Amino acid sequence: MFTFLRQRFLIDTDISLISSVLCSVLVFSNIVFSNIALADGIVVDKVYHPYVLPNEREVEWRMLAQRENGVSNDLAQRFAYGQSVADNLMLEFYLIGERDSNDNFTLSAYEIEARWMMTEQGQYWADWGMLFEVEKEHQENNWEVTSGVIMEKEFGRTSLTLNAFLIYEWGDTIDDEMETEFRLQYRFRHLEQFQPAIEVYSGENYLGIGPAFMGVQRFSGQKQLKWEAAFITGVNSESQGHILRLAIEYEF
Amino acid sequence: MSSTLTRPKSLFKVQFIISYILLMASYNVFAQRQEFSITLKDHLFYPAEMTIPANKKIKLIIDNQDDSVEEFDSFSLNREKVLFPKQKATIYIGPLSPGRYDFFGEYHPDSARGVIIVSEADLPIPAIKEVDNAN
Repeated sequence: MFTFLRQRFLIDTDISLISSVLCSVLVFSNIVFSNIALADGIVVDKVYHPYVLPNEREVEWRMLAQRENGVSNDLAQRFAYGQSVADNLMLEFYLIGERDSNDNFTLSAYEIEARWMMTEQGQYWADWGMLFEVEKEHQENNWEVTSGVIMEKEFGRTSLTLNAFLIYEWGDTIDDEMETEFRLQYRFRHLEQFQPAIEVYSGENYLGIGPAFMGVQRFSGQKQLKWEAAFITGVNSESQGHILRLAIEYEF
Repeated sequence: MSSTLTRPKSLFKVQFIISYILLMASYNVFAQRQEFSITLKDHLFYPAEMTIPANKKIKLIIDNQDDSVEEFDSFSLNREKVLFPKQKATIYIGPLSPGRYDFFGEYHPDSARGVIIVSEADLPIPAIKEVDNAN
């Protein structure tokens, strides 16, 4: 999570709503609509897919820019190196930079992430994976641990991807808190280089939706360049402004 | 600001775990799939053309008899799979609508090419085995 958008809201949690959700389908919708989280950041980021290839190595750049009706104009970037360490396990290391209030762009945090492909693609009704992250702020003794479920389901030439994350954060200058995040991407595999999608992000009292475009250009062997772009608009009273996210990933 | 840790997080955890178990239990673990086989030799797929039934999930086993690694790739099938030398790999495909679905080997795209034809016509049924987790 990018820390530049730290805001504080105290949300009344509807415990009865949460406790009533016990079936599989509702776990995702529960995370979308429940207000268990205290808002603390922004949920718009990459929608993760549950797949890992052996011998995969990648470098990645992500950019996130938010403009909120003249109130803010924030920018964050991530630089990452990732490598599969097993047939179904990928580790990725991130350096996270943000633009501060003085318009200086500095290192703000670092993170390690593990993505675990739990099922073979296409073997079951849907494909499953899990994600684990540990992030520490550079200047502060603030930590964040994330774990979550990744699901992808094919419907003909379209793919539905769901991410549901449980986040715990603590530190010297932030409150201990538990949060939930939900991300959805519905992608039409039109052309390899151009795949339009729609993305939905929810959590921390934020609800945003918008178009996304992604593609991949293959080179020899495992070398390929992936790109993603999305323009997300907040659609509830707590979510104002627009967020542009870009990602470029080179696999080799 | 009060912390959510003061909330009944154990309740949420139980709900999350139960939901997750139910999600996993939704697998159709007892399903049976038709099996098809392809051999990769000298950077060529044999057979290079294969017909499978429409609207059914099938199990494709690829035997890489070469001494080098290959990667099965198909955008239309939405599959990527590393084929280690002298090993068999399993790819689950479908259900697909009728049509032609090209695939190729990323390391030898000029020679290692093939197509899967999905047909609604009745096909001779190859051996049916229970699903396993062979990779």
